[in-house]
Amino acid sequence: MNEPAAGRPGPVDVVLVDDHLMFRTGVRASLDDRVRVVGEAASVEEAIAAVRHYRPSVVLLDVHLPGGDGGGGAEVIRACADVLCDSKFLALSVSDAAEDVVAVIRAGARGYVTKAISGPDLVDAVLRVAGGDAVFSPRLAGFVLDAFGVVGGDVAIADDELDRLSAREREVMRLIARGYSYREVASELFISIKTVETHVSAVLRKLQLSSRHELTRWAAARRLL
Amino acid sequence: MSQSTGSEVGGRERLPLRRPVHGRRIGGVCLGLAAHLDVPVRLVRAVMLLLTVVGGVGAALYVFWWVTVPSGDPAQVAEDLRPAAMARLAPRLRDDTRQVPVTDIGIGMLLVLVAATLVAVRQGVQIQWSWVLPTLLLLGGIALAWSQLDAGQRELWRSRAGGRTPVSVLRLAGGLTLVGAGVLLLIGQDEPPGVLVRSAVAAVAVLAGAALALAPWWLRLVSELGDERAARARESERADIAAHLHDSVLQTLALIRARSDQPDEVARMARAQERELREWLYSDRAPAGTSLATALRAVVAEVEDGRMPGQTGAVAIDVVVVGDRVPDDDTRALLQATREALVNAVVHGRPPVSLYLEVSPGTPGTVEVFVRDRGDGFDLADVPQDRFGVRESIIGRVTRRGGTASVRSDPERGTEVHLTVPVDGSGALVDDPPASPRAATEVT
Repeated sequence: MNEPAAGRPGPVDVVLVDDHLMFRTGVRASLDDRVRVVGEAASVEEAIAAVRHYRPSVVLLDVHLPGGDGGGGAEVIRACADVLCDSKFLALSVSDAAEDVVAVIRAGARGYVTKAISGPDLVDAVLRVAGGDAVFSPRLAGFVLDAFGVVGGDVAIADDELDRLSAREREVMRLIARGYSYREVASELFISIKTVETHVSAVLRKLQLSSRHELTRWAAARRLL
Repeated sequence: MSQSTGSEVGGRERLPLRRPVHGRRIGGVCLGLAAHLDVPVRLVRAVMLLLTVVGGVGAALYVFWWVTVPSGDPAQVAEDLRPAAMARLAPRLRDDTRQVPVTDIGIGMLLVLVAATLVAVRQGVQIQWSWVLPTLLLLGGIALAWSQLDAGQRELWRSRAGGRTPVSVLRLAGGLTLVGAGVLLLIGQDEPPGVLVRSAVAAVAVLAGAALALAPWWLRLVSELGDERAARARESERADIAAHLHDSVLQTLALIRARSDQPDEVARMARAQERELREWLYSDRAPAGTSLATALRAVVAEVEDGRMPGQTGAVAIDVVVVGDRVPDDDTRALLQATREALVNAVVHGRPPVSLYLEVSPGTPGTVEVFVRDRGDGFDLADVPQDRFGVRESIIGRVTRRGGTASVRSDPERGTEVHLTVPVDGSGALVDDPPASPRAATEVT
């Protein structure tokens, strides 16, 4: 996954946001030289200030953060809405609860990974986000399938429909939910990795923009998982 | 999730009627109604406006609900009503809501109204000021006094900003004064001032006497109610958290310290503890026997905790579940097969192990399971007949329920077991013997 970084010389600048010093130290140690941590923050206010000051390519953002109005990572992203074209947000959380994930993604995060992710995988995810692509974990793909009700066969006919996934997008999401990497999805469906990335980005966009009534209700009223 | 879930576990309950604090335009009545009735808020607002135009019914209803419906987040209230043992402990993220500056618009409209009145007066329209002013005073006083019912949020703002002011007292006194003045002016328009003053004194004296007599009873009622509520909530919360969280964490930590020389064991215990904490902190729990997802989690926990022969090190299984349903005999058979497949993956395959379960609703619907590991895999044709594990406990179980089972192996991508079982309306079924705990050892 080096192609996203190919266009930019040197390492990707990252701001690390998490309220636990131990965790920040751990993440710092697990990143390699393709990524440079330029700043750290431990609360909503600090995070907003740090993002505005450093304008990093990628912000590694914890979902549950103290401070602000209690909106956590989602609040940081909303407060930085005007710099979203410079700085991409990658949510990083110990929680894999649907409502937390959906809240940060809908606020504008470009991806979601759990804190159990390995160092190299995290670097890959950062580079992917820096390159403008979306990062979907199997859990997130599962949430998408669940939230869009695609299991019931409710599939979009036209590509520009925001409230439903196309058959192809559904296929890609199912494979990611089954634990396939983008590369494996591509070879399984006989398409290029670039096409997989396009599909995933399209799904991310739908997840962020869809006004689908059930989607918001679903995230709020979720009682299981 | 109405479409994605075959049978909503426990059924969706209607949210209680509350006036949400976030996203409200005036008093949050329409927003609360919309959440309560599960209809779009725009529709409620449109109906309200329509009713207001038709004889002012909407406005009256609005004010009535504004006064009688308590303020609060409906989802949060529904959450609080759930027993603490069933709800997630971590706080939920606050939703974003962009506020329209309703107050500014209101003030603007008021100013426009005043200007229009002034223009009308200039044009020669006669206005009965002796009626208008007292009525305005009266309405203002009532609004001021009642507004403290809705003052919780504003108080919060003020206390955050700095010094606490006795706003509610000021509001009550101001409201009373205004109402009193308004009533006096309205009733006694033609009376001489002496009579007015004397009757006002008499009225105040009667009110004061009544208040004095009723005050202790009212105070006791209020304090008892608050105390009882707080104590109950605190007690149940504390008991639950203590029993389920702290005890388990402490025990695991003690065990880990005792066995710090066995890395496998420590990793296994840490994983089990992580799973338990995660469940307590971030998810709501369904009552036993109502959720396939919960049953699956239990199976996964069993495999993760279990020590299989030939297994090296602790293993973490990535679980993704889409949809949910009430477990029945079919899904139980499927879960047992899944368990065997997981054990196979853990013992013979290589991590990471992924598990994906999908419930397709409908009659008949299907439940699909994919178990994937990154090992070298095996070919089903090469599996000897005597290997009871794969043939019987995975494939046999599923096919007896009218389902299908397939194994796909390839050195590049590992092994994937795909199980499907039809549910709801799948004819007569052969009874499936419950899996013996020893079944795992037969996979060799």
